Amino acid sequence: MLDLLNAWFISPFDYGFMRRAVVGGLALSLAAPPLGVFLVLRGMSLIGDAMAHAILPGVALGFLLAGFSLPMMSIGGVLFGLLVALLAGAVSKMGGQREDAAMASFFIISLAAGVMLISLGGSSVDLTHVLFGSILAINSTALLLIAGISTLIVVTLAVVFRALVVECLDPLFLRGQSRRSGWVHSVFLGLLVLNLTAGFQTLGTLMAVGLMMLPATSARFWSNRLEGLIGIAIVLAMVASTGGLLLSFHLDIPSGPSIILLAGVGYLFSALFGRYHSLAAKLRRKTTPLAVEQGC
Amino acid sequence: MGWRVVEMSQRSLSRLQLHNLHLAQARRTVLEHIEGDFQPGAITALIGANGAGKSTLIQAIMGELRPISGKVVCTVPKERRAWLPQQLALDLTFPMSVEELVMTGSWPSHGAFTGYCAAHYRKGREIMARLGISHLAHRPLGELSGGQRQRALIGRTLMQEAELLLLDEPFANVDSDTVDILIRILRQMADDGATIIVVLHDMDHLRRLADEVLMLSGGHSRWVAPSELTHQHAPAQVVPFTLGGRHAGSA
Repeated sequence: MLDLLNAWFISPFDYGFMRRAVVGGLALSLAAPPLGVFLVLRGMSLIGDAMAHAILPGVALGFLLAGFSLPMMSIGGVLFGLLVALLAGAVSKMGGQREDAAMASFFIISLAAGVMLISLGGSSVDLTHVLFGSILAINSTALLLIAGISTLIVVTLAVVFRALVVECLDPLFLRGQSRRSGWVHSVFLGLLVLNLTAGFQTLGTLMAVGLMMLPATSARFWSNRLEGLIGIAIVLAMVASTGGLLLSFHLDIPSGPSIILLAGVGYLFSALFGRYHSLAAKLRRKTTPLAVEQGC
Repeated sequence: MGWRVVEMSQRSLSRLQLHNLHLAQARRTVLEHIEGDFQPGAITALIGANGAGKSTLIQAIMGELRPISGKVVCTVPKERRAWLPQQLALDLTFPMSVEELVMTGSWPSHGAFTGYCAAHYRKGREIMARLGISHLAHRPLGELSGGQRQRALIGRTLMQEAELLLLDEPFANVDSDTVDILIRILRQMADDGATIIVVLHDMDHLRRLADEVLMLSGGHSRWVAPSELTHQHAPAQVVPFTLGGRHAGSA
């Protein structure tokens, strides 16, 4: 029994790349889920997906210029992601088109451009790595990059927390209170891009958004409080990223999909058995009496 | 000349003035030649049929709509202006409690970065007690009734120490207890020097609340005394506002 536990959970970490991957995964699990929670609450769940595609051309350019260099690819990704966010914002301001429509147009252009650039310069193996991630790619430099970006995201979120909450809750009120209320949205989109570039190394560009969204959407079934949502989402992300890495190691499957699929299993479980809004909660509700209202 | 001097000094006291305002929505003129002078401590009812331009005027006062010509002069700092629109931007599914909502009203003093202190929490609890929502402090917003939500939002404006308050049909879908409490609180706020403008449909509410009435019809405005409207021989054009007016008791 102990041998089995050891073989499954401990010995994989004898390998350096697994240790680095799990640390990277845990760092990401601290930063990504809070962003996802805010995306869900703002009704912008799909924007994360769009941004994940948007960073691809930048990553591809970095790859073309410097080979498989994670810092270069990350810088390219951040720059391109911010560029697309700015362009989408500008188009929606200019033409009156909604921001999500503009974003949807830009992200599909970006995806096509990114895939085109990578296939021009590399093999299909490289393409798979960029799109779906590779734990083998995480060296010490990449790990520092991931940890640095995650720290930056957590600290920034803590600083802008109240503004973000008020903007989600009642944008009109924030606009009345602060002349420069637009900065909250920009900072948030910036953090989103940063997080996705940190994530693509383990998870791949297309999967990075999963560690952000799935724990957040799952947490909605377990808590009705913002702090609860964020806490639960972080725990779920940590379990999914560590468990997914182990699965990927043992079953010899790409790390990105296995982490995200595990988070997906968590989501389905939450949707079925969660405390709030889940199938089980709906069935339970029929048996509990109405709470007696005091006051009015 | 004496009356003129008096009028000038009163003008300088008022914190919100409308000068020959011309407003349009989607290039269609909604209101023209609007003049107004709103005194601190006065509650002004804004009345008019649907589409008469009440919400348009409020948008212009809040600076959300640029006038075609004329101007809005408001000396109340932006962070002390509060606006409760009819269609709230407020996201009711947001996981936040009543107390947390009331506390966001401390933005003018705390901004985005400063933490709340014990004194502010105490103030928040006092405000909730005044509004009779202390027992709901930890209830999520999504579980509130229309009246409870309206009280919580007024709580936020009290926390904000709002000096200019614009309310768009605050008594729609609200129970009669809440109406009583809100009328009392609004009167207290006015007595403390706030300038309050309320869009109203119900003549009963108007009689209980309004010091002055600004009536919008046919793209123009007219100042009338509340007594003129609630008097038995009310002018014919006023009647439509009483018809179909929602009565608080039925909500």
